[in-house]
Amino acid sequence: MSRGKVFLLHVVSFCGSAVLVLPLYWAFIASLGRSGAPPAEMIVWWPREPQWQNYRTVFELIPMGRFLWNSLVVVLGAVPLTLLTASVAGFGLSQIESGRQRHILLWSVVWLMVPNTAVWVFRFQIFKWLGILNSPLALIFPAVGASSPLFVLLYYGHFRRVPRALFEAARLDGAGAWGAWWLIGVPLTRPTTAAVLVLSFALYWNDFVSPTLYLNDSLRYTAPVGLQFLLQMDSGNWPVLLAGSMILLGPMVGVFVLGVRGMTYEV
Amino acid sequence: MGFGYEKQLKRMLWPYLGGALLLIVMPAMATLVIAFTRYTTLGRPVWVGWGNFRQIWGSEYIGLAFFNSLFFVALAVPLRVGSAFFFALLLRHRAGFFGVYRTAVYLPTIIPEAAYALIWLWIFNPVYGPLNLMLGWLGVPAPVWLADPLWARLAMVILSVFQMGEGFVILLVGLQTVPANLYEAAGIDGATQGQKFRWITLPLLTPWLLVLVFRDLLASLQNTFAPSYILTYGGPYYATTFVPLVVYEVAFDFFDFGTAAAVLVVTYLFIGGVIGVILWGTGLIGGGDDV
Repeated sequence: MSRGKVFLLHVVSFCGSAVLVLPLYWAFIASLGRSGAPPAEMIVWWPREPQWQNYRTVFELIPMGRFLWNSLVVVLGAVPLTLLTASVAGFGLSQIESGRQRHILLWSVVWLMVPNTAVWVFRFQIFKWLGILNSPLALIFPAVGASSPLFVLLYYGHFRRVPRALFEAARLDGAGAWGAWWLIGVPLTRPTTAAVLVLSFALYWNDFVSPTLYLNDSLRYTAPVGLQFLLQMDSGNWPVLLAGSMILLGPMVGVFVLGVRGMTYEV
Repeated sequence: MGFGYEKQLKRMLWPYLGGALLLIVMPAMATLVIAFTRYTTLGRPVWVGWGNFRQIWGSEYIGLAFFNSLFFVALAVPLRVGSAFFFALLLRHRAGFFGVYRTAVYLPTIIPEAAYALIWLWIFNPVYGPLNLMLGWLGVPAPVWLADPLWARLAMVILSVFQMGEGFVILLVGLQTVPANLYEAAGIDGATQGQKFRWITLPLLTPWLLVLVFRDLLASLQNTFAPSYILTYGGPYYATTFVPLVVYEVAFDFFDFGTAAAVLVVTYLFIGGVIGVILWGTGLIGGGDDV
């Protein structure tokens, strides 16, 4: 490519990705606006006096600390459990005899296609039978089954690329399937673990629907539902509402940016 | 070695398969059965045959939700897949800044839906929102967005297009599977960038794009729940009442699980039909031996 073309590519790439991030940036700026005052009638690119106390106001208006704690409990329960169950299942799937393997792969793709909306209503029933409705366990429970077939498939794809001889060697040393998984498989699949960590964190931290459906005690609500409270309480106070949004999305963005470093592009 | 090892491998799959059975297979099957019953969670389900489906057919409200969802999907899916493809082509290079750009493109996708909806509620504010301030500054007549039925529907499409990061990543992987020597050979033959795209990239990526379209038909519709619940609660004049919101209302406000299940069955039969037509049209099933 000529120099001019490379330059043009960079300009288009920069502008394109800037457009996608712009709404987030605008919201961040607005979260620093003066609460109660009429909003600016010009686009503000950086506030003259950033009002950081808007972030404290969120905690004064609603029990945000409590909601964040509830979210943290769910994530700390569900994410490590997902990493464990998805990695183990992916390993088992990659080593099992090929007839059964093809079967489970096919079904996993089918399950992946089943939309959440189609199972909402009856998960409610199942959680009721299990007696975990209105408890954080209802939110954590899917992690027992690897949370999503996608995560099992990601691990399967990675374990399949590990030379079989490595696992055979561990087997000959008497390590068994669990030993081969833990000693050889886990250290070699760190990039996939980083990816599944970010994706499963997003699944549980961001989840708005499950707590709305399966919890009814407001003290157990997680942060996304808490944000709804803020909207109902003070719906015109944009700086504080957006500060609440930033508090919710901050940890997610942090985990994402850190996690991306742990993933290496490889095919 | 031997049998013990195979047995251990099978055991490793139990939690996953058990979870899938309990949380995916059983609820999906139950939806299919309950759709033919009257079921309010209090008593036992009562068989009503096609009753729920007749009720849906007669309901203007549910019909409107189907129309809105169709409108949404018809606009959102091509735009989402198209922009994911555009950014994947643009940002597939490994050099320097492109990693940062890729992170930026994926960023909106990982924002929690509750926060994402509030952010767009601010962006779309007709008076103070930055979008209309920007349009005013450019001298473009600014719509009232969420207060107008048509613009509210378009607003839902816009905010879903910004979250096309998953398709973007899938297509980045897809582009890496195109053998580099094909481009080199075409370059030696004097092919232009446009010709390389038309005769190498596009044909090799068609299966990836198709899978993405199918996935998006299912995912983008289901993702309308949080925005329509938080931004507009279905309004104005029911313009953003999409299928998931109706299912939620019918099931959890009226406890009419039978009708809710029937709405889901109709929706997914329809989407299945659309996927079938696309597969047939592209010759992937049903006597298409020219591909």
